[in-house]
Amino acid sequence: MTSPSGSLHLMSLSKRYGSFTAVDNVSLHIEKGEFLTLLGPSGSGKTTLLMMIAGFQDISQGDILLGGVSIAQTPAEKRNFGMVFQGYALFPHMSVHDNIAYPLSVRRRPKAEIDARVAEMLDLVRLNGFAKRLPKELSGGQQQRVALARALCFAPPVLLLDEPLGALDKKLRVEVQAQLKEIHRRVGTTFVYVTHDQEEALSMSDRIVIMQNGRIEQVGTPADLYQHPKTAFAASFLGKSNFLHRDGAVFALRPEKIDLSPEGQGIGANKASGVVLSVTYFGAVLKYQVAVPGIDPIEVDVDAWRAGQVLPEGARVDLTWADSAAVRLSDHSL
Amino acid sequence: MRVSLPAKLNTGFAWVLLVLLIAPALVAIPVSLTPKTFLSFPTDELSLQYYRELFSSPEWLSSFAQSTVIGAVSTLLATTIGTLCAIGLWRVSSPAGEVVRSVLLLPLVVPPIIAAMAFSRLFVPLGLIDSYTGLILAHTVLSAPLVLITVSASLAGFDARLEQASRNLGASNWVTLRRVIVPGIRPGILAGAVFAFISSWDEIVVTLFLSKFSVYTLPRRMWNGIRENTDPTVAAAAVVLMAITLLAFAIWALAARRTRPAA
Repeated sequence: MTSPSGSLHLMSLSKRYGSFTAVDNVSLHIEKGEFLTLLGPSGSGKTTLLMMIAGFQDISQGDILLGGVSIAQTPAEKRNFGMVFQGYALFPHMSVHDNIAYPLSVRRRPKAEIDARVAEMLDLVRLNGFAKRLPKELSGGQQQRVALARALCFAPPVLLLDEPLGALDKKLRVEVQAQLKEIHRRVGTTFVYVTHDQEEALSMSDRIVIMQNGRIEQVGTPADLYQHPKTAFAASFLGKSNFLHRDGAVFALRPEKIDLSPEGQGIGANKASGVVLSVTYFGAVLKYQVAVPGIDPIEVDVDAWRAGQVLPEGARVDLTWADSAAVRLSDHSL
Repeated sequence: MRVSLPAKLNTGFAWVLLVLLIAPALVAIPVSLTPKTFLSFPTDELSLQYYRELFSSPEWLSSFAQSTVIGAVSTLLATTIGTLCAIGLWRVSSPAGEVVRSVLLLPLVVPPIIAAMAFSRLFVPLGLIDSYTGLILAHTVLSAPLVLITVSASLAGFDARLEQASRNLGASNWVTLRRVIVPGIRPGILAGAVFAFISSWDEIVVTLFLSKFSVYTLPRRMWNGIRENTDPTVAAAAVVLMAITLLAFAIWALAARRTRPAA
């Protein structure tokens, strides 16, 4: 039942609505078994791109290959892709069992096979004993897991997830992120995950695609993107960054890579002096805003337990950082 | 809790209106119980003789049967056509589709007498006058828009992602329609069917134009009963007609309550 290949090639994909371009010439190779996240603000084209892969949006230009074979003309119901929708889209009149069994029963699988497979899926998402419930009798997190089980039940080569954690509260989200990652590891299916939440993207993905205005801004592993952002947008959308202008170029400098010390005591390859504008305690870190003459205020994160003393507002401080800490961006101005 | 004067007036007005709307229909009940031989209010005693007459006369019973068959078949047709139309327009959802929708709703707007003349002109050359087929077709055309309206209202609250989910999971259009869309809009379909049946059940204008001797629906027999003699059996028939209409509504209300979608 499993398709031998779950690798996807997006080839110069575009989607236009009249004069508006929602997806602009996107090319991407997604490996079999990979957990790939499309990350971007709303309107970046990430959901449109996912809907094109699912077959719910036609392609204005370009092609999609699954295992080397074009699926651009294949209707959604023949693509065999699992999908977890925003809001889950569970069938409200069907029990949990019937929801999960749906993809198998429309494929006319024998009842015994369906029941065995549904039991296996309920086990995978830890919902044993919930088979007879209706979706409205479940919590948001449970509904999310039913949607996941339904989408994985027919062993699709690719699973598409459209902001599946959007409706959950923050604490539950972190829990479900770990479960999703674990399920991905166990089933080995290619996951294409759409979100606007950078923490979700960083914690789960093998690779992240940062999108803006319908275009790919940068692709890489979470560490790669965080350590070596290429553009100001990537540097500020994934984590926080200070931007410095040096020698006609723009550099991104993460707040936690800056050392802060009382004036005259800073030692480092790069140095700037300034005055503390504000300091805020966040438990693990102290966040300083430091006014440096001639540039925008610099944000500095200091591990709270390391900081010997909290430097108060108005204190004069030295900021120092290593050469490797500042990353040169392709932007020439902001 | 104190109720303000305008609110009281409003309530009172609503009750007056309700009575004005219902009272004329309720008059049939006492009249149907009269012991006299003409349409009148009973004065001294009540009698069920006209109900006996109604349920033993071959003519009246035949009219009941005819109205039921015509109503049932035209309801089935109108519900199927109206539901498919509504789903089609919902899927297309384009300005052109809205034009089509207005055209489809025309039978509701056209005065019955005009529709009756049109059907009559059309059906004479087709040989459909005074036939079950002709009346069923005409009633289907008249009641399909009612189904279109109720089903469209249901579809407005239907999550389009359910359709996408079904197709994504491998279901064809037909399977999606049968297993996801129709169960989701069942209350609207049921309401449409009830309205369609009622509209056929008491339709008179078009029926008068399209029937002669062989087709004799219940409203037509009542019409003749009032016109030719003042037989109180008509009042008894009216009461039964109302009772069946109310029954249809009750069935719909109960079913709608049971299948109310989850909040």
